[in-house]
Amino acid sequence: MKDVVFYDFVRGPLLKFALFVFFAGISYRFFRVVFLGLPADYAKPKGNPYLMAVKKIIIKPTMGWTFNEIFSRRAINFIGGFLFHLGFLGLTFFVPAHALLWKEIIGISLPVMPSLIVDILTYSALGSLIALTLHRALNPVLKLLTGKDEYFANLLVALILFTGLLANKWAGGGLYIWLLSMHMLLADLLILYIPFSRLSHFVYYFLSVGFMGWNAGKRGVSF
Amino acid sequence: MHSLYEIFKRNGYTRRDFLRYVALLVSAVGFPPSFLPNAVKALESKPKPVVIWLEFQDCAGCSESFIRSTSLLPADVLLDYLSLEYHETLMAPSGLQAEEAKREAIERYKGEYILIVEGSVSPKYKGVYCTIGGKSNEEILKEASKHARLIIAVGSCACWGGIPHAEPNPTGAMPISEILKDKKVVHIPGCPPIGDVMVATIVGFVMTGREPALDNLGRPKTFYGQTIHDRCYRRPFYNAGKFASSFEDEGAKKGYCLYKLGCKGPITRNACATVRWNGGLSFPIQSGHPCFGCSEPDFWDRSFLYSPLSVVEGGFGWKKVLAGIAVGSALGLGSAYINKKLRGVK
Ligand code: SF4
Repeated sequence: MKDVVFYDFVRGPLLKFALFVFFAGISYRFFRVVFLGLPADYAKPKGNPYLMAVKKIIIKPTMGWTFNEIFSRRAINFIGGFLFHLGFLGLTFFVPAHALLWKEIIGISLPVMPSLIVDILTYSALGSLIALTLHRALNPVLKLLTGKDEYFANLLVALILFTGLLANKWAGGGLYIWLLSMHMLLADLLILYIPFSRLSHFVYYFLSVGFMGWNAGKRGVSF
Repeated sequence: MHSLYEIFKRNGYTRRDFLRYVALLVSAVGFPPSFLPNAVKALESKPKPVVIWLEFQDCAGCSESFIRSTSLLPADVLLDYLSLEYHETLMAPSGLQAEEAKREAIERYKGEYILIVEGSVSPKYKGVYCTIGGKSNEEILKEASKHARLIIAVGSCACWGGIPHAEPNPTGAMPISEILKDKKVVHIPGCPPIGDVMVATIVGFVMTGREPALDNLGRPKTFYGQTIHDRCYRRPFYNAGKFASSFEDEGAKKGYCLYKLGCKGPITRNACATVRWNGGLSFPIQSGHPCFGCSEPDFWDRSFLYSPLSVVEGGFGWKKVLAGIAVGSALGLGSAYINKKLRGVK
């Protein structure tokens, strides 16, 4: 197969299919949960559930921010998790080529970052992802919570970061188009995979944290 | 048949000139300097190459580019050296005489001549769309390729089918390699290819007696081994995230990267950024226009000449996002409803 034919396929029909499945899949799961609702609870709320839900969503990420927690007890989770998310989200939206793609998808022009920042974010995201994965595999408690899903997702994301890094840094010669296509193929797979895996936490995280806050508000307890 | 050195002498050049040009040729073909003595010997003694140049579904742009190659050999020497036994656009005879000259050349130089093909082949309806002297283009190609020492497809039409092959391809145009399946074809794509690259490939063949090292699509690695983007002088702007957003804005005036304007440099393998055009004067990106990837297969059908490389082909947009969300929400609602029904929840 000619490399440009494959390239056109992954950036054309496959990407469109993946995007459609992504938006449909995410809204399917979101609205399914919302419509399923909760069993009727006739008790009168003791506090303000909606305010607590919003409060929980806003302050949850910072709740464990003590020096000890960040730098010693759960350093890998905190620092690795922070750097990984910062890098991955930053790269997803603000790499010039990606920003132009988002413009085409959602119609909004995003700012772009220079290659130096792109490189720093990529190295830190990739490094953190490796550290987080090793931590998962070795930590006795996390090990029990981790399934094939997590390892697959981590591998997929790591490969996307790595091929993206090569696409930016490596001259590649005649193989460059295969490499670029591979980067996009893996990204297509990730887009398809997100709604059906735990990676959908980027939406459900807010739903579940909000629910926890709402519940606490209803019972009039603090969290 | 004269050698290159004899032609230099005949045109009034000195031996020093000859050596200078050979050194240039050696470096252009991508050989190490240590090859220079061998190259000098070959070009002093070997007779000039005999070329039969066929044109099928083409625009003669590749021929135009070829005769304007001036960097590697002086123009007078070039046209004298490459003995074009048959070339429809350039030769004086026409009609039956021309066909006769070709037949004679094939006969006389059996197994020695270089066959260059420009334009795509159209075998559809027995070649009714491209027939010369009563013979179909497929027949002519098969006949001329039989005894060729080296076959070179020049231009995107001969290499990939090119513009005649673009949708809906009414004439059934195809690359010559599809007709010559059992033969090795050297591809020099481009619309047109750089003249110097064609000349360097031919002279390189004379120097070594072998075809150049080719990539998986049959292109000489020396000229098609890297992307335009790898060698583009605007690359520092790309790296810094500085882009021209229109052909007239500040960015365009400052010479920023043309990615946003649809530059296909990152996926195009060619030597434009290094060899350049018109005697090394410039190339499309240097003159302010994005590369549109004319040397890659099917570039014409990709129909996104002026949209950035990374965007979804044919667009995506809000409507499709909303359609996805609507479908997903409907499915979510439906499935929640069925679930509730099954569980008997009110
Ligand atoms: S102008 Fe084109 S080839 Fe040059 S750096 Fe920009 S994208 Fe790459």
